[in-house]
Amino acid sequence: MAKELLEVKNISKAYTGVQALDNVSISIKRGEIHCLVGENGSGKSTLTKIIAGVVKADEGEIIINGRFYQNLHAIDSIREGIQVIYQDLSLFPNLSVAENISLNQMIERKSKLISWKDVTNTARTELKNIREKLDLGEKVEDISMASRQIVAICRALTQGAKLIIMDEPTSALTKTEIDSLFSVILDLKRKGISTLFISHKISEVLEISEKVTILRDGRKVGEYSIDELDNDKLIFLMTGKKIAYPRFKYKEKEHHEKMLLEVRDLSKRGNFENVNFKLRSGEILGITGLLGSGRTELALSLFGLNKADSGEIYIDGKQVKINSTQDAVKLRISYLPEDRLSQGLFIEQSISNNIIITILRKILNRLRLISNIKRENSINKWSKELEIKTPSLEAAAQSLSGGNQQRVVLARWLATNPKVFILDCPTIGIDIASKSNIYSIIRDLANAGMGIILISDEIPEALQNCNRILVMSKGRIVKKIDDASSITEDELFNIVGKKELNKVG
Amino acid sequence: MKKKIKRIFSHSEIYLFFIIIIFSIILTSINPSFLTLENLFDLIKSSAGMGILAVGFFIVLLSGGIDVSFTAIAIAGQYISANVLMATGVDNIYLAFLISCSVGILLGAINGLLISVFKLPTLIVTLGTLSAFHGALLAFVGTKAINTAELPDCFKVFGHNNIFVLTRADGTSYGLSVYALILLGVVIMSWLILKYTMLGRGIHAIGGNRDSAVRAGFNIVGIQFFIYCYVGFLAGIMGVMHISLLRYSNPMYIVGTELGVIAAVVLGGARITGGTGSIIGTLLGVVMISILEKNLVLMGLSSYWHQLFVGLIIIISVSITSYQNKRRGIRSLTFR
Amino acid sequence: MLGKYSKTIVLFTIMVGIIIIMSIFIPDKFLTVINFQSMASQIPEFGLLALAMMIAMMTGGIDLSVVSITNLTGVIAAVILTKLVSPQMGEGLITLIIILAILVAIISSLVCGLLSGVLIAYVGVPPILATLGTMGLFLGIAIVITEGHGITGFPDKFLFIGSGTIWIIPVPFIIFIVCALIVALVLNKTSLGLSIQMLGSNPVASWFAGISNNSILVKTYMISGLLAGISSVIMISRVNSMRPGYGYAYLLTAILVIVLGGVNPSGGFGTITGVVVGVIILQLLQSGFNILAFSPFFKKFIWGFMLLLVMVINFIIAKYQQRSRKLKIHP
Repeated sequence: MAKELLEVKNISKAYTGVQALDNVSISIKRGEIHCLVGENGSGKSTLTKIIAGVVKADEGEIIINGRFYQNLHAIDSIREGIQVIYQDLSLFPNLSVAENISLNQMIERKSKLISWKDVTNTARTELKNIREKLDLGEKVEDISMASRQIVAICRALTQGAKLIIMDEPTSALTKTEIDSLFSVILDLKRKGISTLFISHKISEVLEISEKVTILRDGRKVGEYSIDELDNDKLIFLMTGKKIAYPRFKYKEKEHHEKMLLEVRDLSKRGNFENVNFKLRSGEILGITGLLGSGRTELALSLFGLNKADSGEIYIDGKQVKINSTQDAVKLRISYLPEDRLSQGLFIEQSISNNIIITILRKILNRLRLISNIKRENSINKWSKELEIKTPSLEAAAQSLSGGNQQRVVLARWLATNPKVFILDCPTIGIDIASKSNIYSIIRDLANAGMGIILISDEIPEALQNCNRILVMSKGRIVKKIDDASSITEDELFNIVGKKELNKVG
Repeated sequence: MKKKIKRIFSHSEIYLFFIIIIFSIILTSINPSFLTLENLFDLIKSSAGMGILAVGFFIVLLSGGIDVSFTAIAIAGQYISANVLMATGVDNIYLAFLISCSVGILLGAINGLLISVFKLPTLIVTLGTLSAFHGALLAFVGTKAINTAELPDCFKVFGHNNIFVLTRADGTSYGLSVYALILLGVVIMSWLILKYTMLGRGIHAIGGNRDSAVRAGFNIVGIQFFIYCYVGFLAGIMGVMHISLLRYSNPMYIVGTELGVIAAVVLGGARITGGTGSIIGTLLGVVMISILEKNLVLMGLSSYWHQLFVGLIIIISVSITSYQNKRRGIRSLTFR
Repeated sequence: MLGKYSKTIVLFTIMVGIIIIMSIFIPDKFLTVINFQSMASQIPEFGLLALAMMIAMMTGGIDLSVVSITNLTGVIAAVILTKLVSPQMGEGLITLIIILAILVAIISSLVCGLLSGVLIAYVGVPPILATLGTMGLFLGIAIVITEGHGITGFPDKFLFIGSGTIWIIPVPFIIFIVCALIVALVLNKTSLGLSIQMLGSNPVASWFAGISNNSILVKTYMISGLLAGISSVIMISRVNSMRPGYGYAYLLTAILVIVLGGVNPSGGFGTITGVVVGVIILQLLQSGFNILAFSPFFKKFIWGFMLLLVMVINFIIAKYQQRSRKLKIHP
């Protein structure tokens, strides 16, 4: 019996214009806890899909349990015991816990009838195997995210999983729940089941893994055992050499700094609590923290999509109420959404429509009709300013690359001439060249007087582009860094990541 | 035990049950003859057909789809079977059922084909087949009504059949119609399929999360095909029951009553998004709508108010469930 | 590569083709002024309903209540026209009452649309169910008002709307063309119109782009109701009577026509030109069928069948396009 459960050799995969994976190899032994690490856009999800047989690689070979596969299909992967738990968990919200756990097995058995006794027993057995307790009769839509995670794992186990691939499983979990998940993974190991844990969170990687494979920009940076790594080394390997870019310097123009935005004691039950901060004209304020820290919820409350329960917001010194996006736009606050594809773009509509949708009022003529001339002018102006590369502006937005798509959404908001621009993880899944392009756009905007809030998952990005940083955790601001140049990457990593570990430890 | 009680009360069906009880009490106080066995038997007989159609519609809704062509299928099954019986001279109720259900399954299969293979939007497809089926029936089979005299005896006899009979004080009798049995049979069969077969669980799964159902390995095409054939089958049953009840067949009938059935199912708690609802709820909805239909006069409203009431009921019940849904969505910041 | 106009061109060709075929096979009855006038007078009622349905579909929804709105507003107008008018009244007063009736009809159609819109936007009811409910409610109100009977006998001046002609063109046709032009203008050249299209394309991105989804949806269904209301005025004027339950055949054919005309049922795409050409094609077929003395039942069958056929064809075309797009990327 081969020692390696899974061997992936020299895999390459390209999509139009982008090399998602370039000569990547990875190998996982039986019972091994292996982490696949990399920033967003590094190729992790493509590699996962190839291992699962859902996507076909352009080159390379896959060997599972000693069997060589030239053309891996999903059904082969499943038969070999590879189970993927995607981020959305693929559960049935309207069915019970027991049923969700047992359903796949029933289908596999090709049984025509359901024995509810079997369903309950199977579920109970699997739960016991990983020493977890859940109410079998409850509907999945009524249970917590962490419990749903357990259900998904149990389901994977019913199919005789030998390797469970978990795609960013901890995004919506609390620290205690993450600890529970980790003890489950250790239980799996004891049973000889391997786990491929995909993440970009340093602290978790360091806590749970035995071996780490690091991807950056589609290439494998290296494979290390956990004792060879520590915080700093891991960070360095993940992010590579620092881009030779000077750090953003806040230019304090006049002595009476215009306080563009001030937030006092802003709270919303379940989202964030007692948030206080200020934003001056010309500043780039970074907000960082683990997922679940309340950053996006906070941003949305400034944009009118998540009204706070209490607290005050001041724009230019005047207290305002932001109850809808129309209010926000009127106050010249713009927001670049986190999920470009489903929240930012009208993917089948033309690029030009995507751009002018926010400035309809500005392109009307005297008869309140859309003026063709004004429309053309606006579209040309902004596509040129943001260097949107496309053969035709009337082409559908889906024809653009990720970087260009982001520029379209940027253009749309810049056209409204905002005072405050909130960007939520603007460089996810974007190639390096476009990233630095977007950074320079943001800096130019700040230097011209705009106040920018940059929500970011990537510590280096925050440090290079912000002059001040807020660290959020579980809805509160836990650290205010008033001068970004006074702190190193590692120190910031520690504040963001380790603080959580310390609480339990 | 406490949890079980809590769970019972979390189902919307329990509230509907109480509303029906309260309504019945009010009606009985106005007209004491409402709460008699005879009246109840009559209610069961006249609403059994609607109940069967509602069960079919409910199953489609459970899978996340919608089928408005069931009325056309029912009348097609009815009219064709009556005509065939008349033409061949065979006077057998079982043959009538066989023909009607076969027609129903065939027409349902057409729906199934269009929806599962061509993946067309269910509402528009079934609007199309509603028109096509009914138009075809009237254009190719005929428009002539069949009156009582011409109707084969088996239908008339069947309509009169009772499970058991009770006698009134004056010697006349009344009974619980076999329709109750048929309805019960359909309900039990459907319940068994939904609860105890992979097919039934597949229907729930597709309605709950279609993508997950695909990933889990369910045969989506097969399951959907079955659903629409099953609806056709049930419509075929109803068609024969209907003609026996009226002792008359007019091919223009049944079509146009879709709204009442939909109101009943929606009232019973099934969601249009699929995955939720129960047969009990559907039956309760049918009971509620039937009681309303028959007793509008008692409430001082002429039968003209029926359509308005049905529309109002739909609006109110979906508003309640949709608003609850919306609040839940807002709380979790999922932008639908 | 002609984008959204390629479908319209195909339709136009089909329309011309049908005219040619009919001219060849049944020229004596088809190519007459009377026939064209008759077609031109029937298109508007139905065409306005199609436009009403189209607007709702552009937002990714549907408005099943359009025919019920015509019923209800028609009944209301009919009641005003018959109850408030007595033969002794002077010309001026009668005209005033006619204008009042039309105004009330329009306003009630807007109110109807408002109800549907509020249910869909603010209560969060899915459009199918909301308009299914309002469909029943509005028809129900109409039945209660009339107690199921019809209302006949409108003032002559009123009948001009439905049966009169300006030069040789029937008045309803002019009204229809004007409405179509206005709707096209609104859809393509106003911020409301563009917002409707974008909302239909992606309601989530619409929220994030600062569009007020709720108010757009309400306005959409109000416009839908308004068009239905205008249609009802034309309708009752043409047949000089109003009976609840009239026109439900139009529901299916309206959907047929807009699907034929290239409107995407999931929202965001569609052209007025396509819908108008679709309406004309349908009317040509309708006339042709009448000349060939097809029974109304056969027509019912054909409309249903055609809707299914068009959708299947659309499906096949979309699949073909998808395949050729894939080939371009991976040759």
